[in-house]
Amino acid sequence: MLTLCVEDLVVRVSDLEQPVLSIERLTVPAGQHLAVTGGSGSGKSTLLHVLSGLERARRGRILWNASDIAPLPEGERDRWRARNVGLVMQDFHLFPGLTALANVLLPARLAGAADAAVVARGQELLARVGLARPGQRIETMSRGEMQRVAIARALLRRPGVIVADEPTASLDVESGAAVGDLLLEVAAETGCTLIVASHDARLIERLDRRLTLTAGRIVADNAQAEVAA
Amino acid sequence: MISFVLADLRRLWLGAFVLVLLVALATALGVAVTLQERALRLGSARAADRFDLVVGAAGSETQLVLSSVFLQPSPLPLMPGTVLARLAADPRVAWAAPVGFGDSFKGYPIIGTTTALVKGTTAGFAEGDMFAHEGEAIVGAAVNLSLGAEIKPMHGTAETGGETHTEIAYRVVGRIKPTGTPWDRAILVPVQAVWHIHGLGHDDHEEDHHEDHDSDHDGDHEGDHHAAEAHGHDHHAHGAGSVEAVQHVTEVRAQGDATALPTAPADHDHHAEVAHAEDGDEHHAHGHIDPGAPLNEAFTEEAPGLPAILVKPKSIADAYRLRQEYRSAGTLAVFPGEVLTRLYGTLGDAKMVLASVAAGSQALVAAALLLVSVIHVTQRRRQIGALRAFGAPRLAVFGIVWSELFVLVLIGIALGFAGGLLAARLIGDVFTRQTGVILPVEFTIDDAGMALILLAIGTVFAAIPAVMAYRQSPAEALRG
Repeated sequence: MLTLCVEDLVVRVSDLEQPVLSIERLTVPAGQHLAVTGGSGSGKSTLLHVLSGLERARRGRILWNASDIAPLPEGERDRWRARNVGLVMQDFHLFPGLTALANVLLPARLAGAADAAVVARGQELLARVGLARPGQRIETMSRGEMQRVAIARALLRRPGVIVADEPTASLDVESGAAVGDLLLEVAAETGCTLIVASHDARLIERLDRRLTLTAGRIVADNAQAEVAA
Repeated sequence: MISFVLADLRRLWLGAFVLVLLVALATALGVAVTLQERALRLGSARAADRFDLVVGAAGSETQLVLSSVFLQPSPLPLMPGTVLARLAADPRVAWAAPVGFGDSFKGYPIIGTTTALVKGTTAGFAEGDMFAHEGEAIVGAAVNLSLGAEIKPMHGTAETGGETHTEIAYRVVGRIKPTGTPWDRAILVPVQAVWHIHGLGHDDHEEDHHEDHDSDHDGDHEGDHHAAEAHGHDHHAHGAGSVEAVQHVTEVRAQGDATALPTAPADHDHHAEVAHAEDGDEHHAHGHIDPGAPLNEAFTEEAPGLPAILVKPKSIADAYRLRQEYRSAGTLAVFPGEVLTRLYGTLGDAKMVLASVAAGSQALVAAALLLVSVIHVTQRRRQIGALRAFGAPRLAVFGIVWSELFVLVLIGIALGFAGGLLAARLIGDVFTRQTGVILPVEFTIDDAGMALILLAIGTVFAAIPAVMAYRQSPAEALRG
């Protein structure tokens, strides 16, 4: 279970004078469920990308359990992410033509990490997220079912943190609620830290803590507000 | 990774199919050109293998080889019969045999020759035996005639509007084993029969032979034309359409001159007469052939003019000496192998052109392949980015893109080689049916080199989009 500590993080893109993200200090204790909100362009996605090592932070430190991933080169960040981060994206990023199970196992297989135990875990996870047919082709599934497959995939390698980017935004209300429930349940079961970027008020209000970004800066943090209060 | 690649290819099967087809066609073109050229070279060399030295009247060396070895009908000048007599008597010569052509039957050329040539150039008989009488014929392996069949020679070929010697018929007595040469499509008859049919030879027209004899001293093939014309005169004198020179085209020319005179109706009269004759006596005076006559292969200076003589020298040194000797005084001696080598030079140029065209098409296909795959990778940025985001190593992403393309190229090249072989075989079969030359269409170790080069190019080209995929940032791709 990973504790996050961000210090002096600044992310710039070449053609903008203002940084897209600027965070002086942010600490997320292990096992906390954090919601990140804010309008589009507020830096939510950038924050998630930087935290999960998809994007390189050129300034500042991103400490996960005290090890800084900011200076790591791309290949090492990839490996670190594969071991420690379970990603759930708005658009699922599942691969048509493959079964649910094959999709769950694909990243592990490509990394050469899919032994018999991992395959068995993949099947268990599919059962856990409520899918009875691991052999079903992904393109024959509903969107809600697809996001369940994506959650199973995120959990496969026992990550310390689940990073979810708008996990319910492309789902109807009912399946969105079900997916939200599932995310919270599995995070609680595994003790994972959970970081969710979302607009979904029903999901946000069920998380421990809520962070609001505007123009790349933290403008509200209910944890600090409580502390301050 | 393999299951992912296969799922991907299944999903994009139509595009994959078109890519494979393009690669296969471009490969097949190159393969077919290479195989066909090699087969033509080998096949014709094998066809000429048993023809050590060919002697003809002065003229085109290539034409002499094409007419005698490959039996392509063409107007060859005649050389006097004394050449054959002299060669037959030469101690350096194992055997020398006349090759007399001009007649045909059902599209098969009829070649007048001797038992020595048949024994010297074939591997024996598949059925039946050698001709032993003037009215007997043996056929090549590819001639569709059975033993005992009757052959009524046609003057020239049906295409050139030949006239049939209805008054005479050979009987098939033997079939030669396949030789893989144009001679498989030939009907071989005793040369004396050819001469007799055309009213030449020992037992009549003494004057003509004297004329031949005279003309060979100045060694000028003009003299032969003259001789042919002389036969033409005979023709009118005898009023028999079958009195002609051995070499028909030469003679046709002579007859062309003759028909300018109001003598043409003589032929028709003759036909009428023959039809009449068939009711009665088969051995009517017009066909100067006696089917029962024994073979006489002792050639004297009296022999009629000939288009070509095949000579088997006793040694290589003799071959060179003979060639030197018969390269003067109106005759021409060639090693068919040497003439073919020169022809291959020309063929090689043609192959260069064809090979360049094939290479050009391959380059075009390679460019198209590159374009398609780069577009494809660009369109799949999100998918590729996602693969890495979810934990696939960069090298795995590279491997996926590379192997998808490489598999297609590999299948395409394999199909191209098979298709090229098939095409070359089909072309070869048509060629064999038309000429009798068997084309050995087969792969050699050189082709493995070509396959490796194509594969290497495919490997490199498939790597370009793979590198693009490798370098792509997953975050940017996801943001898409």
